[in-house]
Amino acid sequence: MKFAPLVLKHLRKNWIRTLSTVLAMSVCIFLICVLQTVIAAVNFGLNAGSTRRLVVRDYVSLANNLPITYKQKIAAVPGVTDTCIVSWFGGVYRDPKNFFANLAVEPEAFLRIYPEVMLRPDQKAAWLSDVRGAIIGRKLAQRFGWKLGDHVQLESFIPPYRVGKPFDFVVDGIYDTDEAKYPGTDLNSMYFNFKYLYEATGQRVGIGTLTAQIDNPSQAGAVSKAIDETFDNSDNPTKTETEQAFRAGFVALAGNLALLLNVIGMAVAFTILLVTANTMSIAVRERQQEIAVLKTLGFSSMLVMTLILSEALLLGLMGGLLGILFARGIIAVLVNVPFLGDILRGFPGLGLSPQIASLGIGMALLLGLLAGFIPSILAYRARITEALRQV
Amino acid sequence: MATTEVAAKAGAVSVQNVRKVYYRDSQQIPVLDGLNLEVPQGEFLALMGPSGSGKTTLLNLIAGIDSATSGRVVVAGTDLTPLSEGELAKWRSRNVGFIFQFYNLIPVLNAVENVELPLLLSHLSKKERRERALTALRIVGLADRSKHYPRQLSGGQEQRVAIARAIVTDPSVLVADEPTGDLDSRSAEEILDLMQTFNKEFGKTIVMVTHDPRAAARAHVQRHLEKGVLTT
Repeated sequence: MKFAPLVLKHLRKNWIRTLSTVLAMSVCIFLICVLQTVIAAVNFGLNAGSTRRLVVRDYVSLANNLPITYKQKIAAVPGVTDTCIVSWFGGVYRDPKNFFANLAVEPEAFLRIYPEVMLRPDQKAAWLSDVRGAIIGRKLAQRFGWKLGDHVQLESFIPPYRVGKPFDFVVDGIYDTDEAKYPGTDLNSMYFNFKYLYEATGQRVGIGTLTAQIDNPSQAGAVSKAIDETFDNSDNPTKTETEQAFRAGFVALAGNLALLLNVIGMAVAFTILLVTANTMSIAVRERQQEIAVLKTLGFSSMLVMTLILSEALLLGLMGGLLGILFARGIIAVLVNVPFLGDILRGFPGLGLSPQIASLGIGMALLLGLLAGFIPSILAYRARITEALRQV
Repeated sequence: MATTEVAAKAGAVSVQNVRKVYYRDSQQIPVLDGLNLEVPQGEFLALMGPSGSGKTTLLNLIAGIDSATSGRVVVAGTDLTPLSEGELAKWRSRNVGFIFQFYNLIPVLNAVENVELPLLLSHLSKKERRERALTALRIVGLADRSKHYPRQLSGGQEQRVAIARAIVTDPSVLVADEPTGDLDSRSAEEILDLMQTFNKEFGKTIVMVTHDPRAAARAHVQRHLEKGVLTT
């Protein structure tokens, strides 16, 4: 610690260079943290999918509904133990910027198949007995300040669900989850009774998607194939996939996205490494004489090397901390940006986690270490007599 | 280091049959050729000679910042010849004070911090280090400039700070490489006065390289070096 003032004073001496290096480093760490957070959020959502649930939808497009009669035929496929209609309603609450997911489901089957959706018994009973009832996630309730018994009116933008007036729902339950047991469960959604939608539209609508529960996850491929073969020659062939695959499709090429984001992060990190290494090299080259003086006074080569490395590590640490601060701020702001925030909120895990913050600091220290390595080796090897002769 | 300690009967500095050869590519450049020099404890020696005669090389060998190609260098009772680079660094921090021609103060540190620098290698507390550094500055007459940075000091003042840095660890030997070479005559006189004081009152052995006959006149003994050989 007694050498700390020496290190700090050198950083302060050329503060513009120090500041620009720290800022460059912070931008790098900021980008890495934000990109990793997005990747983590995407993966978090994907991992929340159950391996025991298959999603059946129209082969051509999600915009096409499946006939209601498919439910019974799918339930009869060997390996399927339960089924539930899950139809995307596309309801808008007052303004499109108030986006949240709202889906029509069969309440009893839904609560059986989705154990992560946890309701108090009295709320469950209320929902099951109320055709216009809806349950909302805890975070959604907090977002709009909704309470039990509140009326919520939604109007769908999907033509078959538009009936000339908004649908009126009663908040019968506010669901929560066991985060340890079911990480990634979405608490920003609303579920209501499919029967309400079916009746209100004159029994003309079909099934958006149908969730089929299977008894053996290892048979998911075979059961999916069996379901799709059932409807091969019909007017509405189906596409069946695991819930995880279904979600992955939703987050648009999630795997490639992660790769792309990681490549961008690495490219930025490498550029900053070169910038910082250059800065450190210049700093050390300018101090050849000083290094010789320190060695003359009795500072060992190892100590001089450590001082140079400490300087580089300190640059890294400052850049890392600043980058994390930027990342926290930007993530907090992004969530509140219209539309973009709605998309991000769809990923329940969005937020700068301690793991990603640690990764950011680790990267910053590693960059500092790598940037300072060669200059510190040069300082280690510097011969006193040669360096003094350069005066 | 104990094994390399020898009786100091020969004096503070003993250079015995030393050769120093520099290598540039495959070319050998002999600088010192079988040189012998004895400097008794408490002596003030001036080394003179033309450029390239090997004065600074000899000084570097005595200060332990360079090593001889052959021969033996004994300073303050320690044979420097077999010491490793790390051992030499440790030895320098305790036994020798170096005064440069261009002062070589650390620009980001103020006067007292510059003087304190060699004490960072000791086990002294922060308070003790600061007290010793201020005492050294007081001795060279710069106590009132302790918070000034090198750029805020004149050349003579900078050299006095450098001298304070050289004596702060209380070394027995001071080596000075043209300490007045960058100073006006008045400042040069002040620096030489100081060096004489350290020699006379504190018993420091001083080996000074100089081109300046007036500076050399302050020394007890003047030796001349030409082409790596002492001529007088």
